[in-house]
Amino acid sequence: MKLSYEWIKDYININKTPEEVAHGLTMSGSEVDSIEDVGKDKVMEMEITSNRPDCLNMVGLAREISAVFDEELKELKVQEVKIFGDNAAKIECEIKAKNLCPNYTARIITDVKVCDINKKIGAKLEAIGLRTVNNIVDITNFCMMESGQPMHAFDLDKIRGNKIIIREAQSGEKITMIDGGEKELCSGMLVIADAERVIAIAGVMGGKDTEVTSSTKNILLESAYFDPISVRRTARELTLSTDSSYRFERGVDKAMVRLSSDRAAQMIAVEAKGKIEKIYEAGELSVKETSIGFSTERTNNLLGIEISKKEVVRILSRLGMTVTDQGERDLSVKVPSFREDLENEIDLIEEVARIHGYDKIPGTVTKFAPQIKRKEHAREVVDKIRGILPAIGLNEIMTYSVISEAATSRFSSMIKDIVVLRNPLSEEQKVLTSQLLDGMMKTIAWNLNRRNNDLALFELGKIYSKGGEGSPFSEELTLCIGLTGKLRKNWKEKDRMTDIYDLKGVIEAFLEGVKVKNIFQPAAIGEMFDAAEIILRGEKEVSGFFGEVRENLREEYGIEQRVYIAQIKLKNIIETADLKKKYKMIAKFPFSVRDISILCDRKMENTKIYEMIKDSVSEFIQGIELKDVYLGKQIPQDKKSLSYSIQYGAETRTLTDNEIEIVHDKMKTVLERKLNVTFR
Amino acid sequence: MGIQSELEKIRNEFEGALMRAGSLKDIEDIKVKYLGRKGDLTGILKAVATLPKEERREAGKQANLLKNELTEKLGTFTSGKKTEMSDKREALDVTMPGISSSRGTLHPLTQVMEKINDIFVSLGFSIAEGPEIESEFYNFEALNIPLDHPSRDAFDTFYVDEKHLLRSHTSNVQIHVMEKKDPPVQVIMPGRVYRPDAVDASHSFMFHQVEGLMVDKDVTFADLKGVLSVFCKSIFGENIKMRLRPHFFPFTEPSAEVDISCIICGGKGCRVCSGNGWLEILGAGMVNPKVFKSVGYDPDKYTGFAFGMGVERIAMLLYGIEDIRLFYENDVRFLKQFD
Repeated sequence: MKLSYEWIKDYININKTPEEVAHGLTMSGSEVDSIEDVGKDKVMEMEITSNRPDCLNMVGLAREISAVFDEELKELKVQEVKIFGDNAAKIECEIKAKNLCPNYTARIITDVKVCDINKKIGAKLEAIGLRTVNNIVDITNFCMMESGQPMHAFDLDKIRGNKIIIREAQSGEKITMIDGGEKELCSGMLVIADAERVIAIAGVMGGKDTEVTSSTKNILLESAYFDPISVRRTARELTLSTDSSYRFERGVDKAMVRLSSDRAAQMIAVEAKGKIEKIYEAGELSVKETSIGFSTERTNNLLGIEISKKEVVRILSRLGMTVTDQGERDLSVKVPSFREDLENEIDLIEEVARIHGYDKIPGTVTKFAPQIKRKEHAREVVDKIRGILPAIGLNEIMTYSVISEAATSRFSSMIKDIVVLRNPLSEEQKVLTSQLLDGMMKTIAWNLNRRNNDLALFELGKIYSKGGEGSPFSEELTLCIGLTGKLRKNWKEKDRMTDIYDLKGVIEAFLEGVKVKNIFQPAAIGEMFDAAEIILRGEKEVSGFFGEVRENLREEYGIEQRVYIAQIKLKNIIETADLKKKYKMIAKFPFSVRDISILCDRKMENTKIYEMIKDSVSEFIQGIELKDVYLGKQIPQDKKSLSYSIQYGAETRTLTDNEIEIVHDKMKTVLERKLNVTFR
Repeated sequence: MGIQSELEKIRNEFEGALMRAGSLKDIEDIKVKYLGRKGDLTGILKAVATLPKEERREAGKQANLLKNELTEKLGTFTSGKKTEMSDKREALDVTMPGISSSRGTLHPLTQVMEKINDIFVSLGFSIAEGPEIESEFYNFEALNIPLDHPSRDAFDTFYVDEKHLLRSHTSNVQIHVMEKKDPPVQVIMPGRVYRPDAVDASHSFMFHQVEGLMVDKDVTFADLKGVLSVFCKSIFGENIKMRLRPHFFPFTEPSAEVDISCIICGGKGCRVCSGNGWLEILGAGMVNPKVFKSVGYDPDKYTGFAFGMGVERIAMLLYGIEDIRLFYENDVRFLKQFD
């Protein structure tokens, strides 16, 4: 919507510069995006919110200016229309869809001289970006831009059967529009038809067959009220948005249907020398008169200001309302027909506030109550995890939660109950992701393609599926970790490639940080090699998995180097997590360390030895640390050598060498006997 | 040979050895050879005991003097040698890069969201979250956005079935919060939202919002302005100016769009603020009584305010990022800048 500074002066006396007017409008809710020079005129590009169809014309905007600057509005006087005769054939006008068109007027004007519009009017229309067509069409546009009522002129002689029928279209009916486009209609769309065919899509656009051309002699001028929802649906379905549909779908002023017809008819009589004849009217409009009670006190209480009743009356009156003082506090406010958006007191309070000026309302910060519990447990746990991971070198990533179907199908073990969009923008964004692996792999590939070869990444995101507890969909907070490339890169130490144990270390670090105990167990996962599942102590449900990504999956992303990925759902971890900190006495007496090297079967699990050491002589063992793993020439091929450091100590005294030797030997005996190992 | 000349010989040998000494081990050997329990000088002292009484006194004195002298010389030499040696050992090149374990970063959007959350938490707000896959009721109807109304134009939406959609704003959480709890309510609601916008430098079909809501008796528009002013200054700097422009949102009334003075040009007008000196960063307003009715609050008893902002927009302004896609490409050269 454009506002012409010169044009609007027809409706209000302005002694402000265009810039001042623009600022005043912006700060009262009719935002001016830009001001452009058009000849001597200044034209403002307006952004009118959808609740204010009354501001989509010059008179409406003049009214806003009148309220903001407290200036008198010049009344738009429409003279009474003189009927010159009844020469034309009688028209039968019938509304078949009364719910979609409560009121229709068709005025006959004969002997028009269709030609270019006079320059003054043409300049006004062109200033606000409308193309001039001929004097008849231009006058209907002028009236719409002046006071908001869209109208349409038909060539009367092309209407067949002397009939105007306002009805719903039949499915498959076709019409060629004024702009040359052909549209196929669906049932339910409101149309204007003559005895034989559709001649206009109601409120949207007229048809080519009946348009006013230079050879037109007699016209039928339509002015009507069409149901906003119907016009909106039709315009959207036909993807045909016009100045007319834009106004009808927001709601036009019911009181203007007849007045605008009169105004246009008079202009046509003057500009096109037409003879105004009979007006046919079908249906009727009840213009609802709304009266709203208004309390200045309540207004002040809500806004936090002191605004006088006098000021309230001034503002509301300038906006076209009739205000009656009901005594001490309350006002009765009669709302004009062009402001159907005003239904309740709160709507009026907003009117007062925006014209009074938001900048006159102070800012206060006195009412805020302190919160005792600042964060929910879940958030604290997640925040803690978010703190740990960067501290051990990982960078957080965020990936799209809507991905392609193709990407989804790469993870065949994770596509149960996926949620698919019904109206995706493209194939690339079609499915709500059921795993975070795709996002991680894409991110790794993106970085590798830019020679960022060494990556340690994590994402805290949701995975989505159908069916949840008490809801048709579930959204599960999930952690994904991805490692690839070299681990240590400095001039002093040798580079080392990241491996599966680094990934396990990251998982252990964050679980330890939130004091969650878990077990890892080998698992077969299609997408992963060397995979393991993560199960929390005391739970049956698998919380997550980690492993090395299989080569064929890597290839789908064009990744050549080895990639290690973990995906862990956080729900159970959050529930189990313990963030309490408690001091435990530090050992007062020094401990001693004894090392052992165990030669055992290659398949022997570390945990078995570890647990056995602990169980054998638990009272004195304070710590066990795996120091080294050796596989090589110096030992048989089916064996491995594990070296442990064991800390011995007691809480109440220092152990003697002798005591330690005894327990250490006992432990070795137990290991030898129960696990069939030897010592090196 | 007399004691005198023996002592002289020891002194000469000692000094010769000291001159040749290159390591702490050499020094230790010298100490043992000359001053040790079985050393040369100890041998002399033992021999002195066998001398006649009149000679013994003088010889003993001489020998002890030499012992003291050698001990002192050895001490001086040793500390000198240690200094010299450690100077050699610590051949530090201060220009060599140091070595540390690597450090990661939080995503800039996480950081900005935390910043926003912290500001409001310090004002007494708590944090609530809600679902991203939502029913039409929570995303639209309860928020006074009727079907087939032009006010829905601003909220084009992805649907997953007949009645469910990906929320187009975090305002749905307002409804969930108010359904569960009676006033007073003072929450912020961060989260992910979706709108069918084609992706380019300034549009994304997925982005993040933080919504705020406060409901109690006598909450005013002035309170809203106060909170927003504290927020804008906390996040963009104390000298930032803020203004509220009337606007329309179906779920608030009166409604406002909130601008801050341009953080690039300070309000003079530049490319970032399209020349007008202001940057729009927030939508806000007093909760529409119709919304209260839909959650069963008595609009005659309670008033409240709500506001919402886009996290990407704030992050872009704060860090000078000009392309929204950078957030989701996750190039580590980008991520590591927000350390």
